[in-house]
Amino acid sequence: MDWFSQYGFLGALLLSGIVLGAIPVVLPLIISPRARGRKSRETYECGMDTIGSAWVRFDIAYYLFALIFVAFEVDVLYILPIAVIYNSGTYVWRDFIELTIFVGILFLAIVYAWSKGVLHWRSR
Amino acid sequence: MKTDIIQLFENPYLALGVSIAVIMAYLSVNAIMLIWLERKLSARIQRRIGPQRGPFGLMQQIFDMGKLLSKELLTPKHANKLLYVIAPILVFAPVVALSSLFPITSTYIFHDFNIAIVLILAISGINVIGIFLAGWGSNNKYALLGAVRSVAQNISYEIPLILSVIPIVMITRTMSLYDITLAQETYPFILVQPIALIIFIISATAETNRAPFDIPEAESELVAGFHTEYSGMRFGLFFFAEYSNMIFACALATVLFLGGWHGPFLPDAVWFFIKVYALIVLMMWFRWTFPRLRFDQLMKFAWVVLVPLSLINLLITTLVLKIV
Repeated sequence: MDWFSQYGFLGALLLSGIVLGAIPVVLPLIISPRARGRKSRETYECGMDTIGSAWVRFDIAYYLFALIFVAFEVDVLYILPIAVIYNSGTYVWRDFIELTIFVGILFLAIVYAWSKGVLHWRSR
Repeated sequence: MKTDIIQLFENPYLALGVSIAVIMAYLSVNAIMLIWLERKLSARIQRRIGPQRGPFGLMQQIFDMGKLLSKELLTPKHANKLLYVIAPILVFAPVVALSSLFPITSTYIFHDFNIAIVLILAISGINVIGIFLAGWGSNNKYALLGAVRSVAQNISYEIPLILSVIPIVMITRTMSLYDITLAQETYPFILVQPIALIIFIISATAETNRAPFDIPEAESELVAGFHTEYSGMRFGLFFFAEYSNMIFACALATVLFLGGWHGPFLPDAVWFFIKVYALIVLMMWFRWTFPRLRFDQLMKFAWVVLVPLSLINLLITTLVLKIV
């Protein structure tokens, strides 16, 4: 099977998603009315005048979650290829022992994050 | 024997056009019907009547679509214009490609990828970028709070989601969804992996930002979360993507745990959709059964309960596979 029918097909579907997503956004530009109100393009803040910009610094706790996520996600993706050949007979007990050690280290990552207080939301 | 859509039409470009037409027709009808179902179901659970326009209130969604299309697209004055405009398109874009990955019948499929599971996880990840751009680009405090919460939640629940899929890959030794369904001919994997299914359903509910995990758009505290500033069809795209993502989460659960198209008497596609929509009704039922969690409880639940539980489930599976 040639390359196009494998991943080119999927890539074309992804691109078509972008094109199809643009249609309902462009269409109302033609058929919808235009507001003339002075405040209609203000940022919504429950009816009051907007105070300041929203582009401010936010809680570092979110950044820490992103850090554990990156560490975890990469590790978890390493398990997928192991899972495909797991117990196929080539390695007698070796794959089990290696996977246990790998998952054990993953466990330690959670324990470490927990003991460092990443999962504990402090009120400031 | 399976035939994929390129073999069927013998012309990749024709196959591509037909695929897009079929997928978009299905997803549009599906989104409209699911919104109707959700409104009717929640009304019934709360002892209300729900939408009333047309027979069984079916026309309500059609009118709503027309209303959304004719609404003005407001762009806030202080927003980052580029990010604000591309965000809903980015959330919507993966929808078409994702739907082509599921084996709905045993004979005709769109395409059978041997790494379909990785592809689904990768493509559904694009969604998160769109949500964050929407929140950041609109320059609105509610939108920003909703977006950071949404991203933190989505990435945290992605890990138990993947970890609950891995035992299935271990049992079948393949990542092709077609082959995984074939492996469930005698019994569905819900019987051997019930804990993985529970973890999967919980994580999928969180991934699709649905109640009780709808903290990114918690109405009572954040107005509408990351799509506060969006109006008209731009908002419609977020809505469309949300309901399509529900379908994908439930379809993946069906393929992995409920045996896909397998079932007696009825045609295989019918069985597939019966299972998918049963799971969707379950997810809608969750919304009116469980109260919303607080954000720190939500994150703690993911990292302290779900991830260790799925890791233990993984280890038990590896051990049992070695012994049996």
